[in-house]
Amino acid sequence: MASPPSLDVLQGYLKVITDRQQMIVSNMANVDTPGYHTKDIDFQSAMRQVMNDGDDAQLQPASMELQGLPERPDGNNVNIDRESLMLSQTQLQFQLGVQLVKGQFSQLLTAIKE
Amino acid sequence: MGMFSMMQVSASALAAERQRAEVTAVNMANAETTHTDQGGPFVRKEVVFSATGGSLFHSAFSSAGGLSQNPAGSVRLTEVVDDPTPPVQRYEPGNPDANASGYVSYPAINPVTEMVDLMGSVRSYQLNASAVSAEKQMIEQSISILKPS
Repeated sequence: MASPPSLDVLQGYLKVITDRQQMIVSNMANVDTPGYHTKDIDFQSAMRQVMNDGDDAQLQPASMELQGLPERPDGNNVNIDRESLMLSQTQLQFQLGVQLVKGQFSQLLTAIKE
Repeated sequence: MGMFSMMQVSASALAAERQRAEVTAVNMANAETTHTDQGGPFVRKEVVFSATGGSLFHSAFSSAGGLSQNPAGSVRLTEVVDDPTPPVQRYEPGNPDANASGYVSYPAINPVTEMVDLMGSVRSYQLNASAVSAEKQMIEQSISILKPS
């Protein structure tokens, strides 16, 4: 199997996307919590970590507080527009990953059938 | 961390916002209550939200131990506190709750503040409900990998 994105890469990609979605969802959940700061993950470094370490990567702190967002008087800086946008973006990225995984399996099936 | 714990995070927010709306409704219903079981006028209530489980050690520990706890990043209504604003005095000598000089203590509740609070909680509820539908769609997509095409 020499086709470009292998299943291992796709698995790592889906894991990073899921982690990011978790961050976005908890930002949305804490939209009214005083003093809460928006969290996000650095996609590149998280992807690199997952690719190098495999499953052990989950104990590494990949989340970080996002800088540069305006803070409300109660110390919360969650921006609903940003989070909604990121939610749809991550959803589509996840869909892409799933479609690629399906493509891999259908290729395999074709190879078996032919 | 996983797809289903994401839904738990959103569910915690839905529960917290619902409780906030409930407390607001109580405040609005008792805006003119001058008589309570504790004596004196009704005291306006306010909710306190806090984010749970920030530490990685804690979340790893509870997930390894199988403790049924809300995942890190969820929101929790920690307490309902009394608003310390003193009651409003109105001159109503005929009222049975009036004091010696004819003044009645009414709760310091502003309907506009309560309405704005209620609208805020409804909007946050909607936001988290849309997050739940996004999560559901993602889980359905993962399941579709298993389906024979």
